[in-house]
Amino acid sequence: MQNLLKILLRYSNFLVFIALEVAAFLLIILNSAYPRSSMFSTANRFVAWQNRQISEITGYFSLRTQNEQLAEENARLRNMIDAMDSTDNRATMHHMSAKAVQMTTDRLHNYITIDRGEIDGIRRGQGVRNSEGVVGIIRTVGRKYSVVLPLINTHTNLSCRFAKNDYIGTLQWDGKDSRFALLTDVAAHMVVNPGDTIITSGLSPVFPEGIPVGIVENSTLKEGDSYHTIRVRLNTNFKRLKYVEVVQNEDLNEMEELQHGLD
Amino acid sequence: MDWTKQIGRYVIVMLLQVLLFNHLQLFGVCHPYIYVLCLLMMPITLPHSVDMLLGAAAGIVMDTFCNSLGIHTAACILIMFIRPYLLSAVVNDKERLNEQISLHTLGMEAFVKYVVILVLLHHLTVFTIAAWSWSHFGFVLVETAVSSLITILCIIGYNALTYR
Repeated sequence: MQNLLKILLRYSNFLVFIALEVAAFLLIILNSAYPRSSMFSTANRFVAWQNRQISEITGYFSLRTQNEQLAEENARLRNMIDAMDSTDNRATMHHMSAKAVQMTTDRLHNYITIDRGEIDGIRRGQGVRNSEGVVGIIRTVGRKYSVVLPLINTHTNLSCRFAKNDYIGTLQWDGKDSRFALLTDVAAHMVVNPGDTIITSGLSPVFPEGIPVGIVENSTLKEGDSYHTIRVRLNTNFKRLKYVEVVQNEDLNEMEELQHGLD
Repeated sequence: MDWTKQIGRYVIVMLLQVLLFNHLQLFGVCHPYIYVLCLLMMPITLPHSVDMLLGAAAGIVMDTFCNSLGIHTAACILIMFIRPYLLSAVVNDKERLNEQISLHTLGMEAFVKYVVILVLLHHLTVFTIAAWSWSHFGFVLVETAVSSLITILCIIGYNALTYR
């Protein structure tokens, strides 16, 4: 008996070591089979709190990646919606997310450069939008980059219609304020109220019908005029534009060829 | 031995560990556990079994932050068990062991040997248990090498900076 005690005492450290390791491995095995203890995990209130603080700080550094992922997801979801919308179950409109890498908003002829080009299937004349509304139309296509003619360029003409009664007008920009554009060609007999919604007409192959463009800010009709002068507050905020989607219409070429054939 | 200093150092190192080092991202192979610094630099004036219990405590705290209950505990108990034997093996002048364990008390060669062996052992244990299979062992070795390098550099750097 005494000898046994002596041996135990002599190897006590080793026995403590073995006992502790067995306990640790029991914890590992029990915890991996079914994590019971939330106290010894990041569900622990203090640990969770500090992790949230961290993620709130580090979140800012990954905002760019997150935005890119969201932009891609938006494009994918819009493709799915279009596929469901099309009556003949043929999705002719595809959306491709792109990033604005350069742009101006303070000139008469503003342009936006996006990071998609020929190799991504971008073609001249394709529409560009973002989650807010219409951005512009593809003007020049490079291999990897393209230039967009935005609504806020005095060269731009966009066929629009009133959401309430389908009257057609042409949207142009007067070169003054990147928040507003002018809707022309709206006949005087039509009643225009501030707050009316302007959407794309769907008459051109560039955009499908119904993409929001803007909201009527005010309209003037001088004595003897046959057309309204309508100021439209654009949905798209060009000052903070970052991610856009290119609307790719499979039928763009065919529709254009048909129209050119008529000329 | 001044235990308030030991505890203060532990708190600061753990803060660095959970606020900074736990969030390093480098191809998924860089997970340095610099908190072992506190265990390695603990004086060996306490009984061996108390040493191991302190190691277990430090491991459980770390596990709480890593959602890995038991893994760091096991690794810390292991290095705390081996520590006194390794120290007497690498340190020729046994007189030095009565002082604090640091670069300056042990000397460069002995301290680096001691730190490298225990950090490698600790990291290898943690990553091997975490992988829980030998099929990822190549990756575990890379992870151990990269992470241990960072931890070792941090521990030696800390010692160089706190020299007086």
